Amino acid sequence: MKSFQIRSKMINGVAVLYLKGHLDAHQVARFEKELVRMIKENNFNILINGQDLNYITSAGMGIIMGYIDEVREKGGDIKLCSLSERVHETFDLVGFTEIYDFIVNEQAALEKFSSVLPKT
Amino acid sequence: MSRPPLKNSAAFSPKPDFSLTILSETQLLKMVVELTRHIATLFQFPLNEAQKLSLAIDEAVTNVIKHSYNSEPGGEIRIDYFLAAAGMRICIHYRGLAPDISVEEVNIGRMIKKKKKGGLGVKLMKTIMDSVTYTTVDGENCCEMIKWRTAK
Repeated sequence: MKSFQIRSKMINGVAVLYLKGHLDAHQVARFEKELVRMIKENNFNILINGQDLNYITSAGMGIIMGYIDEVREKGGDIKLCSLSERVHETFDLVGFTEIYDFIVNEQAALEKFSSVLPKT
Repeated sequence: MSRPPLKNSAAFSPKPDFSLTILSETQLLKMVVELTRHIATLFQFPLNEAQKLSLAIDEAVTNVIKHSYNSEPGGEIRIDYFLAAAGMRICIHYRGLAPDISVEEVNIGRMIKKKKKGGLGVKLMKTIMDSVTYTTVDGENCCEMIKWRTAK
């Protein structure tokens, strides 16, 4: 079994990335590839659900850092939700929790996106 | 009354208690992380501290693989663990390019504007560990990291 898995789905106009397992420098290319695919398909409202993510290093956090400006320039955002205490603490150690939106669960995160998405 | 343990380099034996040599391959990082966490917990560091300590080692070894060995496999990395009552000292020995020891303050806002993906690892290491020092002697680089045990 792979130590890191990623899957995605669209929910109400939000691209949700589900990360699972151990995200380090060895696995980070797969995360970047999926994030870039989302952006190239003009999905700029991106939610990273880390409910099953048990480890992240600066390599994974760096990918979020590297693309968030582009996404925000296009009127979207990258938000994070459902992180374990341990993974949240890792983001906190580099000061990300002051800059990014960390939301307690997916439902609340989707509601936050829906408040800025144009009504159809 | 017993004296508190020393909190300087004299606290540690000159000979490592445990040593591991790996090749510069990122697939080995998970093993190093799990081993470091295991050593730290065996050595009575609380689990939360042991997890952070192993993350700092992951960051340091990742930097060596990416920057000193330019992600080329086959470079040797020796990790020495020194254990003492006062804490844990870890020395990572490697060749390849000398490390960039710039002391530039990490500014996340500026890094976002520059669309940078790297540069957070050293900040993590310095935040987690009590001391991070890089030296190069006769072409051999050493990253020394110390974590002192907090008083109960």
